[in-house]
Amino acid sequence: MEVKESVQTGSVSPLVLQIVAPGDIVLDLSKAGKVVRLGGGLRQDGESVVVTRAGRLRHMQANNKYWVEGLQKRYVPSIEEGVIGVVADRRFESYSVDIGAPSNAILPILAFEGATRRNAPNLQPGAAVYARVVRAHRDVQPELSCMDVSNKSSGFGPLKNGYIFECSTGLARSLLSKPTCPVLEALGKRLSYEIAVGLNGRVWVNAQEPSTVVAVSNAILTSEFLTPGQQHIMVSKVLERMQ
Amino acid sequence: MINLEKPEQARSDGRTANQLRPMVCSRGLLERAHGSARWQQDNTIIMAAVYGPKPVSGKKENPERATLEVLWKTKSGIAGNTEKEAEVTIRRTLEYIVLSSMHPNTGISIVFQVVNDDGAILACAMNAACAALVDAGIPLNGLIVAVSVGVSTHGVVVVDPTKVEEKNFRAHVCLVFPNRPKCAVAGLPAPVGGEPAEHGIISCVTRGAMSVDEYMTCLERGRAASVKITSLIRNSLEHCQLLQVVGVEFGAVAGSPVPGEAFFAIAVLLGP
Repeated sequence: MEVKESVQTGSVSPLVLQIVAPGDIVLDLSKAGKVVRLGGGLRQDGESVVVTRAGRLRHMQANNKYWVEGLQKRYVPSIEEGVIGVVADRRFESYSVDIGAPSNAILPILAFEGATRRNAPNLQPGAAVYARVVRAHRDVQPELSCMDVSNKSSGFGPLKNGYIFECSTGLARSLLSKPTCPVLEALGKRLSYEIAVGLNGRVWVNAQEPSTVVAVSNAILTSEFLTPGQQHIMVSKVLERMQ
Repeated sequence: MINLEKPEQARSDGRTANQLRPMVCSRGLLERAHGSARWQQDNTIIMAAVYGPKPVSGKKENPERATLEVLWKTKSGIAGNTEKEAEVTIRRTLEYIVLSSMHPNTGISIVFQVVNDDGAILACAMNAACAALVDAGIPLNGLIVAVSVGVSTHGVVVVDPTKVEEKNFRAHVCLVFPNRPKCAVAGLPAPVGGEPAEHGIISCVTRGAMSVDEYMTCLERGRAASVKITSLIRNSLEHCQLLQVVGVEFGAVAGSPVPGEAFFAIAVLLGP
């Protein structure tokens, strides 16, 4: 099979929504016109935009942003992403948190809503936290915060009880997609559970009954390679087995 | 076609001189590795697993780039000089495609497990490593294609030699070429010295002696074969990604131990 050549004529890359591999040249910046924003998996090489990771090339018309959506297992932190971390160590002014990235992240002790020197949550090594990445640069340790931009907790903070399992970063992203992921929607109709999805491929599930936690986690892990229709069938089978 | 009037051109397995063995590339087989791939050329099978970028300490830590580490596990027995040499060759080749400055202070490990060696093992290892790096999502500046070509005692140039052929041949060479990328911009990748960019050589490991003319013929046959392998790599990648993104019936990968694992096989015949 010959590699099909499709040459850029307008300002948008003809490879959008196609599977791209490292080295593919997707865009000529001199023809792109307005400002082009590059997300993960792309880099600029002179006048052209080159792919560095395999996946599907995506484009957002509103802000002319390009990125590559892959299914990597390893997490590379990126700013403003919600992640689930496990406290590895406690230092004088910060916690060292394992978020599955190449190096541990820093979570300042005062980066919680309403935290003061006297009154800050006391986390022990092994505790789980849901946090936001506020600094991500390849040369320094990533930094986390349990507050949003307006210093409110807005869901971030220590995760008490519950169960954490790992999945691919692609599954984590699809669980957070809008409209709500079919598997979560189908489960939510029949069961009541709490869930926190970290883009680093960790999912925390909590419910009244341990059996609910087991069912929800199994359903999510099985859903990765299923179509929406298959996900609904799979969930109804899981629920049948619970009774 | 096999030339019956020239029995020295016939190959023990009935292939013609330009025929590759059937190839299979499967990705993402290992649960715990960050990326993995299995490359098969008939009886030659090798697994590659990629771990990282992960924290490294001490001497290996480099503040400018990620450190690459290659480990070669033999089918049986302990690793000798040949394996050590293969490790170094592969590491130097992969350093050419890995954008190591994207993850400074980290390490990337690539572990090979030989499942069976029936010739062209180095080329298979290179192809497997490239597929595993892609699967792990390590930033790369391109893909590579490796082909093994041999020169028989009669001076016949033969692609993809088996173990027996390698042993009996005067010389054989493992050639590594850059992969031809998909390109949305006319005139790119820019030709180098009047030749297309994919005609460049990244690595070349020669065993035995051959004349310059024979070497040039090997190069030409290798390039022709690399076009076929490139399309296999592309197809297997697209198949694997489509499978995972869209989701298909499990029946499509019946018998595969891991859902999402993609198989793609071709048997190629390159012109006369």
